[in-house]
Amino acid sequence: MNLAELRKKAEMEFSANGFPTTREELWRFSDVSPVANAVFSNDWKPSELEFQSLEGSLVVVFENGKLSREKSNLGNLPEGVRIGSILDFPDPRIGSLAGTQSAFVAANTARFSDGLWIEVDDGVQLETPIHLIHLADLDGAAFHLRNFISVGENASATLVEEYVGEPFYWTNTVTECFVADRGLLDRYKIQRESPSAFHFQTLEARLGAEAVFSNHAVTLGSRLGRDDIRAKLAGRGGEAICNGLYLLNGKQHFDTHLFVDHAVPECNSHELYKGILDEKAHAVFCGRILVRQDAQQTDAVQSNRNLLLSRGAKVNTLPQLEIYADDVKCTHGATIGELDEQALYYLQTRGIDPVQGQAMLTGAFANEVLDEIRCAPFKAYAEERVRTWLEGVAK
Amino acid sequence: MEKTMALLEIKNLHASVAGNQILKGINLTINPGEVHAIMGPNGSGKSTLSNVLAGNEAYEKTQGEILFQGKNLDDLAAHERACAGIFLAFQYPVEIPGISNMYFLKAAVNAVRESRGEEPLDAMDFLDLVEEKKKMVQIRDDLLERAVNSGFSGGEKKRNEIFQMAMLEPRLGILDETDSGLDIDALRIVSDGVNALRGSDRGFLVITHYQRLLDYIVPDFVHVLVNGQIVKSGGKELALELENEGYASWNGEQQ
Repeated sequence: MNLAELRKKAEMEFSANGFPTTREELWRFSDVSPVANAVFSNDWKPSELEFQSLEGSLVVVFENGKLSREKSNLGNLPEGVRIGSILDFPDPRIGSLAGTQSAFVAANTARFSDGLWIEVDDGVQLETPIHLIHLADLDGAAFHLRNFISVGENASATLVEEYVGEPFYWTNTVTECFVADRGLLDRYKIQRESPSAFHFQTLEARLGAEAVFSNHAVTLGSRLGRDDIRAKLAGRGGEAICNGLYLLNGKQHFDTHLFVDHAVPECNSHELYKGILDEKAHAVFCGRILVRQDAQQTDAVQSNRNLLLSRGAKVNTLPQLEIYADDVKCTHGATIGELDEQALYYLQTRGIDPVQGQAMLTGAFANEVLDEIRCAPFKAYAEERVRTWLEGVAK
Repeated sequence: MEKTMALLEIKNLHASVAGNQILKGINLTINPGEVHAIMGPNGSGKSTLSNVLAGNEAYEKTQGEILFQGKNLDDLAAHERACAGIFLAFQYPVEIPGISNMYFLKAAVNAVRESRGEEPLDAMDFLDLVEEKKKMVQIRDDLLERAVNSGFSGGEKKRNEIFQMAMLEPRLGILDETDSGLDIDALRIVSDGVNALRGSDRGFLVITHYQRLLDYIVPDFVHVLVNGQIVKSGGKELALELENEGYASWNGEQQ
């Protein structure tokens, strides 16, 4: 099936099935009817939002769903690295990971307007991070962005995706990543969408033998959103790392669904997800690890920890381990707790006021995730955004 | 001659925790330079007294008055009391994962300095201060880099408390059963640290169950706390008397 046929099929499936409802198991804690019931335009205009690219990065700017060549910095790419619009590079692998079963993926496949395409050739180490920024400022619009990343054998790359905007819109992105044998892809996402926007992303990654894929999602924005992250360990000795930090307040609802598929032996996966929720925010975390019968010597660790700062905040956390191999090491843990009053009092007896004390304690809680970020400029940027958020809720 | 102002004056203090009346009329005055020991059996209200003084909101003062350097403490929250110069060395220091001891100390020192209208210490000056004070209680460098009290031994935690006290230079140091869980070497190190901090402008309230600590930190006054009241006060010899006779006689008197 070529891309045109795939898009037609996706449109038909999306028209026939529509959006999921809370009667479906995968969606039972996330009601997407606000998205389903809204009417979105397909207009376009350039964005007026300011942006700042990460220091030393190759910045690729999308404005209201379309690549801006003027605002991007793709002039001097190293040899063996190609970056551009997905419309110019219709890779036959597009859609091969994401399929069209999910309504959001189907809608994206049918309607994507543009997206980032990256190919890093075998043996090429791209040291410079690629910084994708999506600027959204078209009220009432839907943005279907489709990204495709291919990292060759013994190659490496770092991708940062940033989503930002105002006031009301729907971002619906799909990113498919192929990491070939012994390849390395570090991917980061910072989601700073408008507090009234919808943000949905499906991330699909397929790892070859001894390949490493690490994903770090920092979520601060959107009224209603979800990350579907699916990593398939398809080659012996691969490693998948999926970390995340969600900071939610007001009536924000954010859902993370992870799925790590151990299909072959001797692979590792690590997942550390932490959340801090204030006011009436609601988080959902579902972490599914599938260890297939052949996947002996699997080492899988999953942890989801949540800190609730108010009585109105809520978390549903659902670890799901499905293990069919008999020689594996799998652990998981999930906690939901409150700020440690004893620790806060202890800080206070040393002269630290409760506002600063809370920011210090929540900062310490968040740092465990941020400390895992290997891309230094992104780490500094994420830390600053997180600190600002934490100081804001401590007041 | 003008009378010097007391460091701490506690008048007819009543306090409760979770609805239970624990302190039932405490009177105590500590002048600058004095070390007062409060001894008492378990459940007599020793820790309640230290928590009420430090401003723990779980403890409710129901009656009486606490004046610190002439100022009523009622309206001061725990951090404001700390900034005013009250330091509580905890019986059970709290572990705070994720915050390094150094980061924590710098925040504390600068919070106290800020409250006095002083400039915050920069990184260099702060390190100099740490170097100077850490010798006092023999704090190892790796403990400074570790998360606050996390995985510290009992002795290390107590040394860390005294180290913090040395860094913050309070007017009043309250030691809440600092001797509990200490072996004899750690007890000596901690006591040496406290003794080095004794001075004419600083007072101490040393709360303990056992006389042993008072061999090292020799008090000027000893008070016996039983069932929420001070039932006897005297000089340091009173501690020895208690060691020999126990608290039983006073417990008996209450019944």
